[in-house]
Amino acid sequence: MMQKKVCMLGGFAVGKTSLVRRFVSNVFSDHYHTTIGVTVEKKSVTVDDRDVMLVLWDLYGEDEFQRVRDSYLRGSSGYILVMDGTRRATLDTALALQQTALRTVGAVPFISIINKADVRSEWEIDERAIEQLRERGWTVLFGSAKHGQGVEELFVTLATQIVHAAPIPRDCL
Amino acid sequence: MSTDPHRPHRDSPSSEGYTSVDEDWTQLRTLLLSPEQTQLDELRDRLDNRAVQPRDISRVLPEAFAVRGERDPQLSTVLTPYVENGFVTTIRKSPRAIVDAIAPIMGPAIRQAIARALQGMTQSFNHSLDESLSVRGLRWRLEAWRTGRPFAEVVLLHTLRYRVEQVFLIHRETGLLLHHVAAEGAVVQDQQVLSGMLTAIQSYVRDSFGASPDQTLDHFRVGEWTVWIEQGSHAYLAGVVRGTPPETLREDFQAALDDIHAQQPDALTHFDGDAAPFKTTQICLENCLHAHYEAPPRPSALKLWILGGVMILLLSWWGVMAYQTHARWSNLLVELGTEPGMVVTVAKSTLTGYHLEGLRDPLAKDPSAMVVEAGLEPSSIKAVWSPYYSLDPQLVETRAHSMLHAPTTVKLSVEGDTLVATGSASIEWARETKRLATLVPGISLYRDEGLVTTSIPDLLERVNRTVVRFRSGLSIVEPSERATLGAVSIALGELDQAASQSGQRVRLEVLGSTDNTGPVTRNIQLSKERAHAVLVALGGEQLGEATTVITGLGQSIVQLGSTGEARDRRIVTLRATLTVANQGNEAVGP
Repeated sequence: MMQKKVCMLGGFAVGKTSLVRRFVSNVFSDHYHTTIGVTVEKKSVTVDDRDVMLVLWDLYGEDEFQRVRDSYLRGSSGYILVMDGTRRATLDTALALQQTALRTVGAVPFISIINKADVRSEWEIDERAIEQLRERGWTVLFGSAKHGQGVEELFVTLATQIVHAAPIPRDCL
Repeated sequence: MSTDPHRPHRDSPSSEGYTSVDEDWTQLRTLLLSPEQTQLDELRDRLDNRAVQPRDISRVLPEAFAVRGERDPQLSTVLTPYVENGFVTTIRKSPRAIVDAIAPIMGPAIRQAIARALQGMTQSFNHSLDESLSVRGLRWRLEAWRTGRPFAEVVLLHTLRYRVEQVFLIHRETGLLLHHVAAEGAVVQDQQVLSGMLTAIQSYVRDSFGASPDQTLDHFRVGEWTVWIEQGSHAYLAGVVRGTPPETLREDFQAALDDIHAQQPDALTHFDGDAAPFKTTQICLENCLHAHYEAPPRPSALKLWILGGVMILLLSWWGVMAYQTHARWSNLLVELGTEPGMVVTVAKSTLTGYHLEGLRDPLAKDPSAMVVEAGLEPSSIKAVWSPYYSLDPQLVETRAHSMLHAPTTVKLSVEGDTLVATGSASIEWARETKRLATLVPGISLYRDEGLVTTSIPDLLERVNRTVVRFRSGLSIVEPSERATLGAVSIALGELDQAASQSGQRVRLEVLGSTDNTGPVTRNIQLSKERAHAVLVALGGEQLGEATTVITGLGQSIVQLGSTGEARDRRIVTLRATLTVANQGNEAVGP
């Protein structure tokens, strides 16, 4: 079975782990988040009638106290940028993390998801900002870890992009 | 140039309107340009028919495959389903050919796998067996019972020095699992997730201490497990070891990793998440699944010899004892068989001893005594005897003596079914015996023609007329007097038995006396001594149960013949009387 390493990136408390929990059943304790900054999970999806195992590295949310370790990103075939729609600052964090990922692993497929779609009325990230992200070439999905909305689609879409992706030189983006 | 008779003549116009000149030109052109014309025709055909010809493709197909295969994996992707279908069809159509082709590869692999499995199973079994009967094994069995763990696991924990339980081959950059093997019975978590966490931990440790990329986490220990990590250029090998492994194990890990890098350079360099090519590393990784157990303490040869000698001695002793016991049992059966008044009907050995059943005359010998005499333990023999009367002459004679209360002066003997009485007895006894003899079991007739009968008065008279004389001053019975006393003793015996049969007892007074020489006190003492000496000569206390003996005190003046000569006064006399049994009253006087 094909295996692919995928990193979950995003600001502090944007709902990365909640999205992963919606997708897989956990094996290791969340305690590892606060100790070594990562928890590894796995999930199989089917792309073009082929089974692909996503090995998900759920990284500790970046904030002013802890930075994402570049070493955890290495070898990723793709990554997911998670934002919290109710906090505008998480979009800026996602932008910075994308640059970090680009430097570390190159132009591998990635998908961004704005979490907490169930409280859309409270969002600070407006349509204009979302449009700007899409103009950058980002795939922006909306989801709710609370209700499971968009979660399956998020991982299947990324897996499909990874499988279909052809190697692209790093300096093209 | 030959002339074609079918061709139209050059000077006459043809039916199609061609002139002979035109034909000549055509013929000339054909002759001159025939090879080129052929090539032109072929080129025209190829231009007109643009479909690819198989022959053309066959010329470039191998090169085309090689060129495209180097550029990208698209060719493999396209061909894979066709190759798979063709392979399946071939297997269905001709499985034998496939078997012949892969047998040289699969045979050794299967043999190695089976040998490894058997080796592990045998090793585990041997350990469990070795420890199951020892004191240590019993202690571990108690521990297994107390902790609820399987006995084999407890043995493993106590005897294991180290065992490589799992080996992970992990891609260094991605942390993805390339291959994984585990020993039998090892607890295996999710290998893919564990591979990722192992990689993350290494990165975390390296980052935390600011180590350079070539400085790696070599090992870490958790409880009884140690995880050893060996780094390669593209992959690293992580071995989960229970116990304390030797340093040489690291060399084995490194050798295995080097082999894998040498065998799979392309797959490691261009790893894209497909771990299928690394299935071939199975054997290489399995060779790392070492296990080393504590050798059970082997008893020394001397101990074995001593143990063997003791066993042989014990067995020999047991054999001798069993043989002796059996021999004693056999002898006892022979004794019982020849013993009068005993008939053995059942004799068998049981798990706890022996069992006897039979018939026993009450007068026969005590069987318990015979068991003891045979050297056997009475408690080891359970005997059930039923009473009966034996017709054995010896027992019939004993029974006759017992039932008829024959006096010691009578001898009873059995001749066939006849009881014969000889000797002497009282008239009363002889009369009573004649009446009762045939009632004794085994006796039909009675004969007593050899029996001399005497009456009680006669016996009393014979006793009471006895006078024993002594020399002056002495209390020793003279030899000449002993013959007299012998006859008196017999008479006393007969009297005693005759009296007992008539419900009476004999009272005997022994009266000693002296002459009047010497002091009175001395004479009294001397008379006692003479009476006692006679009593001893008569047999003393052995005279009989029914006889009461009294040593009389006599003085010369009161004794028989006290008025006569001095020699007639140095005597001892007897006075027997009869009394009713249990009474001291005199019944009959002399």
